[in-house]
Amino acid sequence: MTTAINLIQALLLILGAPLVGGIIGKIKAWMQRRQGASIWRPYFEIAKLFRKGDLVPPSASWVFHFAPKVLFGTSVCAVAFVPVLQPSALLAFRGDFFLFVYLLALGRFFLSLGALDGGSAFGGMGASRDALVSTLAEAPFLLGLAAVSILAVHADIAGMVTWTLQQDVLKISAVHILAFTSLAMVVLAETGRMPVDNPTTHLELTMIHEGMVLEYSGPSLALVEWASAIKLHVMLALLISLFGPWGMASTVSLWGLGTAVLLYLAKVAVLAILLALVESVVAKLRMYLVPDFLGVAAAVSALAVIFTTLVKR
Amino acid sequence: MGLVAIATGKFLSSFSVFLFLTVLLMVVARRISTSVLLFSLQSAIITAEVFATGVRERLPAAYVVGALVLLIKVIAIPLVFFRLVDGLKTPRDVKASTTPTQSVFIAGAMIYLSYAAVHSFGQTVHVPEDALAAAVALILTGSFLMVSRKKALMQMLGLLVLENGIFLAALLTTFGMPLVIEIGIFFDILVGLLLMGIFTFRIRDTFDHLDVTKLRRLRG
Repeated sequence: MTTAINLIQALLLILGAPLVGGIIGKIKAWMQRRQGASIWRPYFEIAKLFRKGDLVPPSASWVFHFAPKVLFGTSVCAVAFVPVLQPSALLAFRGDFFLFVYLLALGRFFLSLGALDGGSAFGGMGASRDALVSTLAEAPFLLGLAAVSILAVHADIAGMVTWTLQQDVLKISAVHILAFTSLAMVVLAETGRMPVDNPTTHLELTMIHEGMVLEYSGPSLALVEWASAIKLHVMLALLISLFGPWGMASTVSLWGLGTAVLLYLAKVAVLAILLALVESVVAKLRMYLVPDFLGVAAAVSALAVIFTTLVKR
Repeated sequence: MGLVAIATGKFLSSFSVFLFLTVLLMVVARRISTSVLLFSLQSAIITAEVFATGVRERLPAAYVVGALVLLIKVIAIPLVFFRLVDGLKTPRDVKASTTPTQSVFIAGAMIYLSYAAVHSFGQTVHVPEDALAAAVALILTGSFLMVSRKKALMQMLGLLVLENGIFLAALLTTFGMPLVIEIGIFFDILVGLLLMGIFTFRIRDTFDHLDVTKLRRLRG
């Protein structure tokens, strides 16, 4: 039964991912006083792309075909580690948060390779920028997760969530606030959201992620788009399960699961609104200020690790 | 009543943690207006702490003090600052002499230091340790802001953050000073702010900028 629920929550993360992007787009449209596209639009778009043919640049090698599949595969694997409805996950073992971070990094690496292999100037530019951002985001990502893991004395994400569930909501420690701040900044950088990268732009000077996927079309593009949607969803789910898991079903029952699903949807909606709000009011950083942004995230996460020594057990 | 007391006690120690966040953000803020908004937020948290202390210790005078803090530090002072920024027509950046990453590390070291300083004290006196550490951290980062920012306006703001720290420390250790003294202190702040505001205008008029590192010679 537990395994079945684990499977359901992984499927929820994968299949619900485009919806999160659609909701964010809708809220942003409302804020700009537009009507906006339907929240189901990302699904139609992915379905449409799957029906189209794959256009491949003549200079591209097998890496170009291979990269989107690796990206999608690693994103789906990463989903298996994140608890959503109950404090357990499909895969959990000691130190799995390292694997989680590096699965996402592997996907990014292959996407960069594919972009370089496409042979266009924008692909190379996007890939080099993405390499910079992801290298700088790696340290705060790992340190932020490590701080929570030290606090929880568990080295797997599911264990950390189990520990957090037993804590008092009112007893927020400095470590949690610092780790949350740094991980929230990392989420913005890793998923290519506003202060770091504008997900809606095709302006050559500023694009990072869009520059990399410019040469892709058809089913490959569908895989890339879906994988980045999954990445956004899984990062939001990670934030929720690490810093606000209260409401998860601790025992398997229909009532508990129902409330868990509803609460999870509410939390994702809150995060989506926050993200849309940030994207509507914050201007994109100049490329040269992105290292500063991530430097602050790294400093905050290092502080979080140092602060774990202060917390009384 | 017992439940309310417990809840407010927890609130006191938990919400002080958010003070650390405002301090860290204030240290990396690039615009004066962002720093002023953060100061307002910080004062709002302190207002909440004053009311929580009032509920817990059953001190009616605390409500008056809390209302004063709300009126002066959360609303009046930020408004004065915004008018100053508008009136001075100075560039909006704070002109920090440290990079944001360095600033975060320095602020973090200060927070750590404040925990170390408070640790022995917290065991002898029954005071929430997090909150007292937050007070000390506010004092330290306030002085850091004064030292590391080149704009005269930011030095005023640093002084106000420092004052917030002293106020919070007094609140936590003695449950607030007598009402007359509190009112006196608030009056002091307002008059000081007024004087400093006039001074920044004088600096701007005489030197055409607000950069205190360039104030080296006397000018008539």
